[in-house]
Amino acid sequence: MGQGKSQFSEDELQDYEDLTYFTKKEVLYAHQKFKALAPEKVGHNKNAKLPMAKILQYPELRVNPFRDRICKVFSSSNDGDCTFEDFLDMMSVFSEMAPKAVKAEHAFRIFDFDGDDMIGVSDLREVIERLCGPDHKLTDSEIQQLVQNVLEEADLDDDGALSFAEFEHIIDKSSDFCHSFRIRL
Amino acid sequence: MEDDIEVDPRPASARRTLMRNGAARQVAVNFMPSRQLTCNTLRIRRNNSEHNALLDDVMDAAAAGSGAGDKVDAADRQADIIVREMEQHQRLMEDSPDAEELRREALRELPEGLTMKRHVRAKLSASVSLRSKRRPLSCTKRLKYRLSFAWKRTKDRLRDMIFSIELWYEAIRNIEGHFGSAVGSYFYLVRWMFALNVALATMLVAFVVVPQALHDRHMNTTLSDHRGFLDFIGGTGWLEDSLLFYGHYHHDDTSPGRLRYHMPFAYFFTLLCVYLVMFAVLCYRTAYSYRRNFIETAGGLSHVFASKVFCGWDFGIVSHHAAALTANSIYNEFKELLSEQYKKKSSRGWCARAGRLARDALVWAALLALLGAVLYGLWLLLGLTTTIHHYHLLVSAAITAVLTVCPLVFHLAAKLESYSSRTVLYVTLGRTWLLDAATLVLLLVYWARSNEQCWETRFGQEAYRLVLMDAVISLVVLPIVEFVRALVYKLNPNTSPPEFNIAYNSLTLIYNQTVVWFGMVFAPLVVVAVVVKLLVLFYVKRECAMRACQPARKVWRAAQTQTVLYMLITLSLFVALFSLGTTFLGSESRCGAFSSYSSVVGVLTVGALRLHEREAARRVLAFLLRPGFIAFLLLFLSVSVYYVRARARAQASVVRILRRMLLLQAKDKDFLLDAIAKVSNGEWLYSPKAAHEEGPDSHTWKYLREVRKPSNSGFHLEGPRANHSLLEGRPRSYAKDSRPTSRYKEGTARDDGDTDSSFSWQGSAHGVNQ
Repeated sequence: MGQGKSQFSEDELQDYEDLTYFTKKEVLYAHQKFKALAPEKVGHNKNAKLPMAKILQYPELRVNPFRDRICKVFSSSNDGDCTFEDFLDMMSVFSEMAPKAVKAEHAFRIFDFDGDDMIGVSDLREVIERLCGPDHKLTDSEIQQLVQNVLEEADLDDDGALSFAEFEHIIDKSSDFCHSFRIRL
Repeated sequence: MEDDIEVDPRPASARRTLMRNGAARQVAVNFMPSRQLTCNTLRIRRNNSEHNALLDDVMDAAAAGSGAGDKVDAADRQADIIVREMEQHQRLMEDSPDAEELRREALRELPEGLTMKRHVRAKLSASVSLRSKRRPLSCTKRLKYRLSFAWKRTKDRLRDMIFSIELWYEAIRNIEGHFGSAVGSYFYLVRWMFALNVALATMLVAFVVVPQALHDRHMNTTLSDHRGFLDFIGGTGWLEDSLLFYGHYHHDDTSPGRLRYHMPFAYFFTLLCVYLVMFAVLCYRTAYSYRRNFIETAGGLSHVFASKVFCGWDFGIVSHHAAALTANSIYNEFKELLSEQYKKKSSRGWCARAGRLARDALVWAALLALLGAVLYGLWLLLGLTTTIHHYHLLVSAAITAVLTVCPLVFHLAAKLESYSSRTVLYVTLGRTWLLDAATLVLLLVYWARSNEQCWETRFGQEAYRLVLMDAVISLVVLPIVEFVRALVYKLNPNTSPPEFNIAYNSLTLIYNQTVVWFGMVFAPLVVVAVVVKLLVLFYVKRECAMRACQPARKVWRAAQTQTVLYMLITLSLFVALFSLGTTFLGSESRCGAFSSYSSVVGVLTVGALRLHEREAARRVLAFLLRPGFIAFLLLFLSVSVYYVRARARAQASVVRILRRMLLLQAKDKDFLLDAIAKVSNGEWLYSPKAAHEEGPDSHTWKYLREVRKPSNSGFHLEGPRANHSLLEGRPRSYAKDSRPTSRYKEGTARDDGDTDSSFSWQGSAHGVNQ
């Protein structure tokens, strides 16, 4: 981590430690990983903005069905391009130390494709289709049935969409969420 | 199924108006008393993102006005809004380290980018220092603050250090990437047990083995020169009277001269401490895991579908192959869930159910009989008098073979039963654990009852042999089997590929640990052997997984199984403590460290506490150990357990009631807010029926809005009726099915007297809309 250290001052690291769930060493480690995506660019400017295609080369993101959503949610310019700080923010939320509520908040945004602050029927369909991958297609009526089941279980106020409170309720009751919604640095 | 799902056909302009409606609605929500709670960080976060919706509106308006939105200015304003929100929380704004920590936590939890967080932090600290009344701190307070700072600093530094020395970090991460977090959790278990055993081994070696070794050197005791291999495996011959086993340890002060080291005390208290510490650690860990994975997630509705959809993807996966398999397994699971749902609708007859029950009972009976037979056979085998050389080796090999094969039998037997796949797993785990624990208890009882001069060493040898043979099995035999299966699969892809069997592998770990719990007393160095074994095991298993195994086809839910594994380890420690307490503690020891006392427990009563000299202490102890007192204690415990349980039940029922209330209130709120939004927009007069039946984004609502533009104000006056006729006039499915899970009943509309038309929210809504 020798060369990583030279790019950050002690104050900057302290700053990152205060604002994220990482320790200083972990921040440096994250920067190494970020640098590996585009060595020259990041070598010049440690907080360089990488285009979404570059970010998506990160191993865990490469195969993730929600990769473009993840990038968009964490990108500060909202177009999927991420600076190192955005990347650090992303990793911090996905890290083990982040509490369930924070993870739930971001998961909600990732699943909220149309950005109306509700996970509606179209969002649910999209999630299910992406989960099953490109090789397998559920029939329309099957997806319909699944969506209906999800809403029956979770839509407490019966408005045909999941608000954040309802979504958080599901997450609270799921023991597997913290295990699955996690990317190790 | 013919009802089509609405995929938001609204044009952008319509959405914008709706957003603005949403904004007005949000203002109303934010004025509600429930939103003004003190220091509820969660609410801060949500409010913020809701404010963002508002802010977007504001920014849209600004952009429309000035042409180009000033980005920096907007960010500044947004930060202002967030800070203002936070300022409402008293505890957050105090000028003390606690509040500062709270602020840090709140900042971390903000769902914003780092730049925004920095903005907010700067503004927040400015605001705090502005508010704080500078008062000289009292001495105690200053000390408290300083201590809390130091504590935090150390904690951070410790975490930093742990990250840099974390063992096998990249290796496990790599495995997780290829096999998902479930297989990863097995390797975490290996690592955790490795750490546990390292701690055990350090304590035992430092306080028991090393002093004895020094003593041996001092006394110039030498081992016999004849060192046979079979003796090495069996722990007999030259190994029998060595540091390995209990019988070798000295029964008095070890070092003559000035330094005194009383070996019986060291032996007894080291083991006592080790057992107690381990018990505490395991209980804490199990309870923590249980609370997180069972209690907090239980209670009422289970979200089968919802959690499959939202927690289905394992974000740690990195390889394309694993990703494809995961997608496949999720697809299959969805299919299964759906077909199960259809199956449930067709109810089964009682005849089939009785048949199922009978079959389950039969399997249980057969397996219990098998268990009994195995144990009885073992007992006979142990008692057999033969002339075969190294007979004990054969016995140990037989035990190991039985313990290796039986889990497979249980696994097959579970397929005959009609449990769900998760129950099958738990049942198999439970049965295998029962077999392991029963075998070890049987061995202990057998040797304790035998008339051997030094049965403790005999049992120690038994444990030593079992550890060695188990190492051979899990380090050599099983990997070879897996590689052969992989080879067969490679040559003939029609066969099933070997999957990494998490359940079986975890069970061998638990068995291993059970042997340690039992054998540690009689063979302290067994722990060191286990440490070495676990170290090698990690690498062997990693190679096995990476080279021979395929990712599992079924999704394995790791969290709850992990809890069950911890529980089993704790349970085996408990069984070990119990059986050691009953067989060893009260017995007279004829060799080893405690041979100078009349019974093992004499170390404590006679040696350490000197009860024979202290009459009062003896009386107190005798009173505490009387059956009456212990019965009272047990009774007290049962009563308190009953009390806690009754309270838990009462709370569960309260939770049910509250949930029902929540549902009703959410509906009420939705209803009222809709009404408010509509009235405040001044577009039409309030009609309870329409508002009640249709949400803001339904077809009817939009249709009505289109018709009721201010220009067609003629409709206004007869709102309710027009609305009604519109509903009647359209195809039923279209009017009603816009919401797929509509549970509203018709005819529940309230009468018009409920709300009067003078009701208005316009003032405040407008205030914010601008």
